Amino acid sequence: MSLQLLFDALALGGIYAIAALGIALIFGVMRLVNFAHGQFIACAVFALIVPSTDALAVLGLGRLPAPVLIPLILALGAGLAVAAEALVFRLMRNASPVALMVGSFALGVALQNLLLVVYGGRPKAVSLWAELSHPVQIASAEVPLLQLIVIVTVAMILAALAIMLRHTRLGLEMRAAAEDFTMARMLGVRANRVISGAFALSGAMAAVVALVLVAQTGVADVRMGGQIMLVAFIATVVGGMGSLSGAVAAGLAIGAASAFLQAGLPADARPFRDAFLYGGVILVLLIRPQGLFAPVGAKPRV
Amino acid sequence: MSKLGVFDLAVRYGKLTAISDLSLSVAEGERVFISGPNGAGKSSLLSAIAGAVRAAHGRIEMDGEILSGLGVEGIARRGLSMVPEGRRIFAGLTVQENLMVGAGMRRDRSAIGDDLETVFAAFPILRERARSSAGALSGGQQQMLAIGRAIMTNPKVMLVDEPSLGLAPKVVDEVYDRLCQLQELRGLTLVIVEQSSARAARVGGRMLLMRAGRIVGDGDAADFAARDLLTEAYFGGAA
Repeated sequence: MSLQLLFDALALGGIYAIAALGIALIFGVMRLVNFAHGQFIACAVFALIVPSTDALAVLGLGRLPAPVLIPLILALGAGLAVAAEALVFRLMRNASPVALMVGSFALGVALQNLLLVVYGGRPKAVSLWAELSHPVQIASAEVPLLQLIVIVTVAMILAALAIMLRHTRLGLEMRAAAEDFTMARMLGVRANRVISGAFALSGAMAAVVALVLVAQTGVADVRMGGQIMLVAFIATVVGGMGSLSGAVAAGLAIGAASAFLQAGLPADARPFRDAFLYGGVILVLLIRPQGLFAPVGAKPRV
Repeated sequence: MSKLGVFDLAVRYGKLTAISDLSLSVAEGERVFISGPNGAGKSSLLSAIAGAVRAAHGRIEMDGEILSGLGVEGIARRGLSMVPEGRRIFAGLTVQENLMVGAGMRRDRSAIGDDLETVFAAFPILRERARSSAGALSGGQQQMLAIGRAIMTNPKVMLVDEPSLGLAPKVVDEVYDRLCQLQELRGLTLVIVEQSSARAARVGGRMLLMRAGRIVGDGDAADFAARDLLTEAYFGGAA
């Protein structure tokens, strides 16, 4: 296996892992599959450019220096997610998981149409951090600098999240609430605080994915969140709904499998890469319907 | 003034009536057992007091303050703690983490440390297993953890739902011993669901007998135990 391929696999898998985490964090605490997550990503992408339906994109926030831009976009993503929770999902707090899911679809469609109205439907070229596409020589491989940054960033985010979940009060409350929400509340854990916290983290993850996507593809497209949302959702299912580490592992695995298939399949079969990929997903789910890492929370009650 | 007061409480699940027109009053520091056959509404009563199920009507007061509308966590934050049926410990968390979830709402850091020490002194096994996964504990140890976790919220009133369920008699003895010690130490008001009137009599306290969503008897647990044959015949040997 070439070193180049390893980097491709890690970078793609890393993005999928972060996107899957965004879904799994919210599912963990409130059993909501947030299908608006893709639109959170798209919104964070379009926040970079000046609102206009012109074909030519003009960078707005995107022109800010990275040390300002990154925290700002992360905060915007978190803010959008928290607002969505407060304005939409809080009203549906006692609804069934299916109703919540449909609600998230509705929110996603509304957000997407909002973007269509403000920015128009055509994909726009956006040049963010173009200098990062320069290749760097590592041993035998030429790796774009961006790819290295993505891999390091993903590793840092995962480490930070793990520390946060283990060693902070909010992290402890989120883990307890993910196992048994009512019991956590009976111990004084504030439902709103935990849910808002999960949405904020999830929104920030969406913003990270947005920044990486734009920097990698150089395109802002209203539909760009949908594809990655699909992969992220599949990753959370394969990983075991509600298991954060499962979502990360499955996200990495799907990204890596995708990169390996792209490189390893014969040229004629390459257009059908995703068919092979999802065939593998189906196989995994046939063998382990509960996902690879089903959470311990679902313990039988005496 | 009573510590805990329930007035004309009704709880319904759809068309099913779990509790109807139930009133009771518990004095500060009192130990009250609730007994009765399966389906009498014992757990529903505790859940309604803790705010986990909605009351169809009636009101619940602690220290004269109406609890309805405070929400589950609001009631817990007022000092009413629940040790629920089936214990419901967080299996994926460590023993110590389980205890700290209970302390999450408190700001008094040094008192939290003292309480942790109290819990560990009452249940030394929890100290031993502090860093291991709570899911790996035995049933009795999980019951102790659930009680310890409730203590960590620094409650004034503690509701305990069937602490003896599924435990060996020797373990039940230990659980009750510690529970009573903690009550004395903390000046707790205890409401305990206990199927066995013999057990309640041995531990000592007041006993309320429930049947079909109502309280049908109220007196000293020892008196009930003396009449146990009669109640067993009456309820079909539920204990």
